[in-house]
Amino acid sequence: MSQTPLVAMIDIEKHFGGIRAVDHVSVDLHEGEVVGLLGHNGAGKSCLMRILSGAMAPSGGEIRIKGEAVHFSEPNDARDMGVETIYQTLALADHLDAPANLFLGRELKTRFGNLDDKAMLKAAREVLARLNPNFKNLHDPVSSLSGGQRQVIAIARAIYFDTKVLIMDEPTAALGPSETAMVAGLIKELRSAGIGIFLVSHDIHDVFDLCDRVVVMNKGRLVGSHHIDEVSKDDVLSLIVKGELPADWSARNLKAAQ
Amino acid sequence: MSDATKSSKTFDVGDLIPGGAYIHRLSALMTLLLLVVGFALSSQAFFSINNGLTILLQTSVIGLLGIGMTMVIITGGIDLSVGSVLALSGVVSALAVKAGLPVVPAMGCGVLAGAACGAFNGLVITRLRIPPFVATLGMMLIARGLALQITGAVPISGLGNAFGILGNGALFRMVEMRPNGFPKVIFPGIPYPAILLLIVAIAGAYLLHRRQIGRHIIATGSNEEASRLSGVRVDRTKLYAYTISGALAGLAGNVLMSRLVTAQPSEGVMYELDAIAAAVIGGASLSGGVGTISGTMIGAFIIGILRNGLNMSGVSAFIQQIVIGLVVIGAVWIDQIRNRP
Ligand SMILES: Nc1ncnc2c1ncn2[C@@H]1O[C@H](COP(=O)(O)OP(=O)(O)O)[C@@H](O)[C@H]1O
Ligand SMILES: [Mg+2]
Repeated sequence: MSQTPLVAMIDIEKHFGGIRAVDHVSVDLHEGEVVGLLGHNGAGKSCLMRILSGAMAPSGGEIRIKGEAVHFSEPNDARDMGVETIYQTLALADHLDAPANLFLGRELKTRFGNLDDKAMLKAAREVLARLNPNFKNLHDPVSSLSGGQRQVIAIARAIYFDTKVLIMDEPTAALGPSETAMVAGLIKELRSAGIGIFLVSHDIHDVFDLCDRVVVMNKGRLVGSHHIDEVSKDDVLSLIVKGELPADWSARNLKAAQ
Repeated sequence: MSDATKSSKTFDVGDLIPGGAYIHRLSALMTLLLLVVGFALSSQAFFSINNGLTILLQTSVIGLLGIGMTMVIITGGIDLSVGSVLALSGVVSALAVKAGLPVVPAMGCGVLAGAACGAFNGLVITRLRIPPFVATLGMMLIARGLALQITGAVPISGLGNAFGILGNGALFRMVEMRPNGFPKVIFPGIPYPAILLLIVAIAGAYLLHRRQIGRHIIATGSNEEASRLSGVRVDRTKLYAYTISGALAGLAGNVLMSRLVTAQPSEGVMYELDAIAAAVIGGASLSGGVGTISGTMIGAFIIGILRNGLNMSGVSAFIQQIVIGLVVIGAVWIDQIRNRP
């Protein structure tokens, strides 16, 4: 992992008045790597990810994509660089249907500049069927869909375009077991396609099997970044809760090698 | 696949908005029919061609304002300034005619003045983060004040025949000269304001449902934060909606002043309420994301016919205000019920 990282977030800060939501955090992400970002509710995970997706301006720090310093002033800037995000809130427009949401902000148009609803419907049908074969009600406003279906639309929107970095903020929060398994399969598939993934969660069991590395935040600070082989679930739990590793900790894989 | 072809062809929004909106529009249409039947029974003169034309003319002004209002309401906003902007635009057009401009460019100036007022609204709302209610209430006073100030509160008359064509002319009007020298109207024709309303309504529906900006208008009103995260330029979208509303208020002002062949700086007071009522009766939701041009057209006719019918039945202007006030409250109340989870 010595080559230039796909994403490098360096010394990122975000304050809200007196609250330090993100406090001098540096993380990086390589191609084909899944990094689990863990921490309690309110630890600052969403803020850090929103900064990377261009939805929130940082108070300080620098972002580099493939070694090149970038400045995201709106989500489109990040999307243009291949950074796609599945927001915790899903960010769907309730009154629009699935295809309209899938293409929101980058609608397909006909030669005359009209909306090409036919093409968008066709594309939506394909990508949604890939994620959930039972997805049929493509003409219903998304407000009338189930939590799982809404989540699937948000996921589809993030992988349909030319994605290089995928941010998944609690992607399985609204999903049942079979859909969660589908997301896990999808993550593996995207990883082998060389996409770098930030997988945000407050539940370690969700992410432990999928990640190459875990990064833990506590009260806005980065308290640990470990290869998944180095740590046990208990170690990570200790990082999440106390903000530090157990006193007697040593890297698990090294211990085994001794 | 059959529905794929269907959705790409129809102009209608049936597949974009909840089924409840259909029912709402249907009930509005039924109300309209009931009003027509009721007034026709209560007054002989109501159901005549001449009165029909009067209704068309009155409705065209409410309708033009209502189309712009619908766009603004769909973004989740409100435009209280349209009545005043209408007056200011009419005055600007008249002054341009007085300054020697031909009628068409002069009226263009009026529409531009309206668009400028709308753009100002949009900028105040998006840049200064002032709520639409307050921003457009301010513009309501500013535009009215401007109109009264530049005219000295005196109507501008003597604008020439050409100025009156838009408001008083008609297409396919057939007049026969009778042997005694007096003309006889065979077919009164389709008034220009009605044609203008039809064109603008079709253009509005096209914009809202076939163009990207229309989709962004709906998305912004539906969930502003989600739209922003999805890459919709929310501020630009709102600016667009308010500018259209201002421009259409300008157009409505020209129609009205042309009708009178006089620019009245005090014209159009409270018209914003008629426009809001038309949009809400037609199914637009004040919480944003929902609304159709066709619905607003039905709403505009309900308001127009209600006013006209009450007049024809000899109901006093005071009672009319009470009735319209109750109708507006009723329409918003229905909107509230619809939005209750
Ligand atoms: N827009 C905001 N304004 C003020 N405070 C915020 C805002 N967004 C997040 N915060 C605060 O920042 C902290 C981190 O929030 P967040 O990143 O959402 O946590 P997480 O995603 O880890 O649960 C919390 O204390 C939260 O209240
Ligand atoms: Mg979060």
